[in-house]
Amino acid sequence: MALTTYVEAIRQGIWEEMEKDERVFVLGEDVGIYGGAFKVTAGMLERFGEWRIIDTPISESAIVGAAIGAALMGMRPIAEMQFADFISCAFDQITNFAAKSRYRWGAGVPIVVRAPSGGGVHGGPFHSQNPEMYYVHTPGLKVVCPSTAYDAKGLIKAAIRDPDPVIYFEHKFLYRRIKEELPADDFVVPIGKAAIRRHGTDISVITYGAMVYTALDAARQLEKEGIDLEVLDLRSLLPFDREAVLDTVKKTNKVILLHEDTRIGGFAGELASVISEEAFEYLDGPIRRITAPDTPVPYSPPLEEFFLPKVSDVIRVARELYAY
Amino acid sequence: MAETKVIMPQMGESIFEGTLTKWLKKKGDRVQRDEPLFEISTDKVDSEIPSPASGVLQDVLVTEGQTVQINTVVAVIGDESAASGPSETAAPSPPQKAETTVEPARTREGREPDVRSSPLVRRIAREHGVTLVALSGKGTGIGGRITKRDILSHIEQGGTGAKTGIIAPPAPIPPARPAAPPAQPSLQPLQPLQPLQPAASTGEGERVPMTAIRKSIAEHMVHSRRTSAHVTTFFEVDCSRILKAREQSRPEFERAGVKLTVTPYFVQAAASALKRFPMLNSSLDGDTIVYKRAINIGIAVNIEGGLIVPVLKNAGGKSLLEMARAINDLGDRARNKKLAPDDVKDGTFTITNPGQYGGLTGTPIINQPQVAIMSLGGIKKRAVVIDDAIAIRSMIILSLSFDHRVIDGAMADQFMADIQKQLEIWQA
Amino acid sequence: MNVNDVKPHAVPGGTIQLTAPPPEKTLHGMLYYMKLTRELEFRIERKLYRQGKIVGGVYVGRGQEAIAVGACIDMRHEDVVCPSHRDMGAFLIRGMSLRTIFAQYMARKTGATRGKDGNMHMGDLNLNLVPFVSMLADNIPVAAGIGLSFKIRGQDRVALCFFGDGATSRGDFHEGVNMAAVLKVPVVFICNNNQYAYSTPLERQMAVANVADRAEAYGIPGEIVDGNDVLAVWDAAARAVERARGGHGPTLIECKTFRMTGHSAHDDAGYVPRELFELWEERDPIKRFERYLTERGVIAPGGIEEIDKRINREIDEAIQIAEKDPFPDPDDTLKDVYYEG
Repeated sequence: MALTTYVEAIRQGIWEEMEKDERVFVLGEDVGIYGGAFKVTAGMLERFGEWRIIDTPISESAIVGAAIGAALMGMRPIAEMQFADFISCAFDQITNFAAKSRYRWGAGVPIVVRAPSGGGVHGGPFHSQNPEMYYVHTPGLKVVCPSTAYDAKGLIKAAIRDPDPVIYFEHKFLYRRIKEELPADDFVVPIGKAAIRRHGTDISVITYGAMVYTALDAARQLEKEGIDLEVLDLRSLLPFDREAVLDTVKKTNKVILLHEDTRIGGFAGELASVISEEAFEYLDGPIRRITAPDTPVPYSPPLEEFFLPKVSDVIRVARELYAY
Repeated sequence: MAETKVIMPQMGESIFEGTLTKWLKKKGDRVQRDEPLFEISTDKVDSEIPSPASGVLQDVLVTEGQTVQINTVVAVIGDESAASGPSETAAPSPPQKAETTVEPARTREGREPDVRSSPLVRRIAREHGVTLVALSGKGTGIGGRITKRDILSHIEQGGTGAKTGIIAPPAPIPPARPAAPPAQPSLQPLQPLQPLQPAASTGEGERVPMTAIRKSIAEHMVHSRRTSAHVTTFFEVDCSRILKAREQSRPEFERAGVKLTVTPYFVQAAASALKRFPMLNSSLDGDTIVYKRAINIGIAVNIEGGLIVPVLKNAGGKSLLEMARAINDLGDRARNKKLAPDDVKDGTFTITNPGQYGGLTGTPIINQPQVAIMSLGGIKKRAVVIDDAIAIRSMIILSLSFDHRVIDGAMADQFMADIQKQLEIWQA
Repeated sequence: MNVNDVKPHAVPGGTIQLTAPPPEKTLHGMLYYMKLTRELEFRIERKLYRQGKIVGGVYVGRGQEAIAVGACIDMRHEDVVCPSHRDMGAFLIRGMSLRTIFAQYMARKTGATRGKDGNMHMGDLNLNLVPFVSMLADNIPVAAGIGLSFKIRGQDRVALCFFGDGATSRGDFHEGVNMAAVLKVPVVFICNNNQYAYSTPLERQMAVANVADRAEAYGIPGEIVDGNDVLAVWDAAARAVERARGGHGPTLIECKTFRMTGHSAHDDAGYVPRELFELWEERDPIKRFERYLTERGVIAPGGIEEIDKRINREIDEAIQIAEKDPFPDPDDTLKDVYYEG
């Protein structure tokens, strides 16, 4: 059976949902005739027509606003941000209109905002960001960050079917690097459920997105030294799988929190709090964070390489923690 | 439905208080719902406030010119069957958040000294009845820390507390830690020196919530600073006469069972001066000066964790003996926490005595709603010039903080000069 | 037929010619809803608020009642209204009950938002009434999306979107109107130009003379109407709705009016020249319409007093009920952040 890339998995997920449910449509910049900047919507205009794959002006706020309006009328819009960096232009519509609508007047806003995020592609400060935490800090939203092709497809489907607004962060670095065989039948990945990518006994690395692979690479090398990492992929940040986090901490008693996002206010801070509040007496060492430094994402390769958490960072911290 | 409370409305999201500028109805007047009842002024807007209900204006609780916080009840409208209009039902009050039950504080686990471990290791030790001292020096972690592996293998090798006979005794509840570490060098084996961490040394120390009395003092002090226009004047007074008088009277007082300090002399001088300067014995109510009939002098007393001001009632009509006895009694009861609520009420003037610790003088904060407070510095022998000759005299610096809204400097100084004169010519 | 017996200087042309005047029933409805709006807001702002019974801020549309009423009176049930904060008439015409509105302002569980949000942030999908948020102009892209959904599904429905002159300075006005125009969606944009945004006068808001002048930049028709003439608003809205239904896309209608109050109940509007209030008082939309209806015999002598009595009775009853309505339970704080099944 053929291997499916991460980007193709997203495309399949949207396609299948559009075939099944007439309420689903896509709007965004260059999604129609061009098929999207990353070709996620390639071929859809021909299949579904210009009123279900809608090219819009460069208006992120209006793209999300219009998605909200259509969702209130019973539609299931998928709004594409060409790059996750541009989601800031729609911040107000997402955080004030979409996130608070159900709470204010009982009207759910079932939109999906797709946001191609992440670095490692030499995109510089405005084409590499990981802005998930602005939305994780907004009650009323859901935030997912798939790392595998299976999850990319299963989570986009879950997001489209979800009755609440979902911000779907898809990692650009993984688009064509990650491929796997996908089941032919219809499946979803439930929002809010983590997955253990590698079972281990010594140290848990809790991570998400492209950093899952950094953790796995480190685990392979550390295995030779007799250090056995467990890698937990959160998959969803809001809500996140509290149970899975506590379970892995209780199992290995040492934990590294790893993400590509910057440090202060990053998700690792929240995880560290939860772990120390609820699993303090299971800790056999300090909770360690590995994150990007608190800077914008730089452009030049040596700078970007310095910025992004690396396999060697995980190995170094894991050794320290193992010896602690 | 008996009565409706009329409140100071919130006229704007940021508004915290309003001034009731005018009552449009008098107590006892009949009033219709929505009929103008009073006028208010806030820093955003002036408005006429309609009555929330029909009935009789039964009680007026806030006078014209008074500024009160929003939602303060300013009046009560009583039901009167004769009053027409629909009868009113009070709005249901917003439900209060249920008080969270405070969990009983858990007994603190005893921690064994000088064995580095981790929360997990300590829990395993507790659950298996192992005392970590048994593993002291056997830790394989960084700096000899006992790791999970260490304690698990210890237990596996039969090293439970029961088998080795080292059952951890129930740890005593450690006493509250002093704020500062003990100064003596530790008798424990020396730990390797940690590098100095400058950041830690500038960081905050221990955080301790304010006690109720501390909070109350803080509020009173800030409130007073905000309320009154504080000005302080200083007077140097020769205490030779009163010290001499005290020496003479002391045995007689002691026979009466009263310890005589110098404080009663100052209190008596102040009480006497207050009769002549009633403005110093007043308070301010909105735009009105209220002269107090009684002269009730508060005397600040230092107590554990704060300060309290018991009040010597009717100080104007007391002999020195009565005054000394009463002051001592108030001081003792203050320190023993035996003061009755009445003992700290209705003061009209306050005396504070920071000089007992050697202070030269002070600029005290007025005890609201009073308008003046006198501070006694320390009595000290000084060289002073008298008739162009240098003499040694026991001197004190008295200071008076007064509210310039009511009292001008001339009056404050005349008041102090009066006290000065009384003390300097004191006849035993 | 002309109700512009006073010509506001801000309205070029001054008179309008109605090709087909509305039936008497509609005329009666217009007067009732304008007067109901005014009395309702009067009670909220001048009575309940000052009695401390209203929670939070109060923003009213005194003097601007003709706009929401004229634009909404003939809307079909399936059409959608996105009002802003000086369009109380839209809520009333859509069928939101007085009790719900009072309970909303008094933060009760029975209010339109069950105590979750305040004042005129009210909406109800059953009434096809979508509430706005405090970030002005946010409802413009949302209305564009509502229109877009009609277009995608081929539904014969129109969205009416209200906002003030101040909102047109925000980027969402530009993004929303532009997108609606580009996609030719069935939306009518109605600007309630009351000449002040809080304390900021129009000339500090825009360098063009009229909000409607901006329509040309989006390639859509812009029309200026006398916002204090309910029939003029009705006529312009009817034509714009017709245009939208015909698939010709959005229209921007600028209703010139004046805010006869401060921005909110705590604002005495000291920054507005008194003469302007006096001038616009003469153009009061309700008085003008009453005169028009009486002169033409649409309303019999004594008919206006009858309406006033009815309105007062309805409002008194609603207040009495709402005042006794419960506050929400503290536990409700945690509910409805997400779908709960």
